Amino acid sequence: MNLGSSVEIITEWDIVAARQLGRNEAKQVGFGTVDQARITTAISELARNIYLYAGKGKIEIERISEAGLVGIKIIASDEGPGIPDLRKVMEDGFTTSGGLGAGMPGVKRLMDEFKVISEVGEGTTIITTKWLH
Amino acid sequence: MQDMNLQVELLEKNSVQCFKVVGEIDAYTAPVLKERLAAVEKVEGLHAELDLSEVDYMDSTGLGVCVGFYKAVSNNGGHVKITGLNRRLSRLFEITGLNEIIDIELKESEDDNATL
Amino acid sequence: MPQEVTKQYKEIMSKYLESQSEEDLYVGQQFSRRFIEKDIAPEDVISIHKSALFELHPNLRKQVWDSLDFLIEMMIHYGLTMREHQSLVRKQEAIQMEMNVATKVQDTLLKTVEPDAEGLDVGWISQPAHQMNGDYIYFLNQENASSVAVADVIGKGIPAALCMSMIKFGMDGLQNENSSPDNVLGIINRIVEKSVDDSMFISMFYGKYNSITSTFSYASAGHEPALHFSSGTSAFTELDARGLLLGVKKEAIYDEHSVVLEEGDFVVMMTDGVTESRTENGFIEMSAIKSLLAEKKDESAQEIADYVYSELSRMQDYQLSDDFTIVIFKKKTV
Repeated sequence: MNLGSSVEIITEWDIVAARQLGRNEAKQVGFGTVDQARITTAISELARNIYLYAGKGKIEIERISEAGLVGIKIIASDEGPGIPDLRKVMEDGFTTSGGLGAGMPGVKRLMDEFKVISEVGEGTTIITTKWLH
Repeated sequence: MQDMNLQVELLEKNSVQCFKVVGEIDAYTAPVLKERLAAVEKVEGLHAELDLSEVDYMDSTGLGVCVGFYKAVSNNGGHVKITGLNRRLSRLFEITGLNEIIDIELKESEDDNATL
Repeated sequence: MPQEVTKQYKEIMSKYLESQSEEDLYVGQQFSRRFIEKDIAPEDVISIHKSALFELHPNLRKQVWDSLDFLIEMMIHYGLTMREHQSLVRKQEAIQMEMNVATKVQDTLLKTVEPDAEGLDVGWISQPAHQMNGDYIYFLNQENASSVAVADVIGKGIPAALCMSMIKFGMDGLQNENSSPDNVLGIINRIVEKSVDDSMFISMFYGKYNSITSTFSYASAGHEPALHFSSGTSAFTELDARGLLLGVKKEAIYDEHSVVLEEGDFVVMMTDGVTESRTENGFIEMSAIKSLLAEKKDESAQEIADYVYSELSRMQDYQLSDDFTIVIFKKKTV
């Protein structure tokens, strides 16, 4: 069974709400302090990207279990400008660019699985998962 | 490396896009100029002016940017004029033979109303 | 989390908390290398510290634990940036290795054979400002004629280097053609115009020495004028010829001129890395370059070239701002 909830990202305060929700869920799943902080930081980065570059979007957080493992899944989606060159955005060094998609390599490092779907003019969806080891 | 003392200001006077360049144009700053010019070079029948009266030094990379701009604009039926060249820069245009194909104006013969 | 590291950290810290001795700190410093070896992130280090502290002193005030949680949060970004930095350093090392290979390939690919003509002494030097050279020298040897093309690709580094192999193969195709300077530039111009993108251009000086008539004929495609030193008058004359940079206009026409060399005369062909040398006090004047050349007028062509290079690079504190190339053709004294 998937438990989940979501936060609409419109103002900067919504980033804080998404963080809070993420931390609570991570705690419930049983992650330790450091991993809670990592998951929260990842959510924060994703939400901030939505707030700065897409205008509005949504962060969904799910507790998941699969093959005896439990974890947390974050889905960040928006209908913003989309990312034209995904490969470039995922390269190290992009984080410091301060542009659209900055921080994505960081999110990927903080989590275990990372997938991004983006269509220019349509929007971006990022799905990222962390398992409790 | 981004803001290495080159400023490019765009003003329009009598439907001529005038780029006022201030600073030194070298391998580090030339990309700044190139990017600014690339934004307009595809415009059909563009009339552009590069005002280099505040440019003391330009190396061959900068020259390459000017020539690239000239070629792109000419290919789209436009016209480029380069003004305000100091002695050193005008020598550069003479040596390269560019003064024969590009409309250039030296600093001395600049109009009074060409500056703001 | 590596349990072993946590256990050892706890022991070392426990000793230090008791004694506060320098020795324990030294042990700690040695131990800290383990974190890096085992690729432990900064936030994990703090977490290790927190659990070790909790095992040793469980009754500390709540603020201490909260502050450590706060610090963990702070260090996550720090750790990310650090890892990204490490990954960039590795990438840079890989690029550097590729560059070294590319430089070697460039050297091999662009090799040219210095002419060995009757009565002519040839000297040259070409030094890149960075790793790859944007200047290029090509010698062409035909019966009774020694020719050289000195080219400067506008723009530096790798794109310029790639462009050069095109010139080289264009020139190779000229072996049996009419090699008069104006004709050569016309042919190369058409090749370049067809093949390069809009912001890449090449300036080229082409000189040809006829060893029967002692005539040096030349043409220029937007290149720095050459200098002719006359041993009779001890004066320099600029050898300039009208002509546009290569690759700008397909139908460009190149003028050709010539000069007769007397014994001891020499012609100096250069790129703008020589004439546009800059020091802290401004540009090095042409007159300064001329006097350097004149000082060594009685030496061999190679000695003159080497001397000008060493003097000009010294004046620039050995930091070349542009690729630097000089070729000298000198008529031998019998």
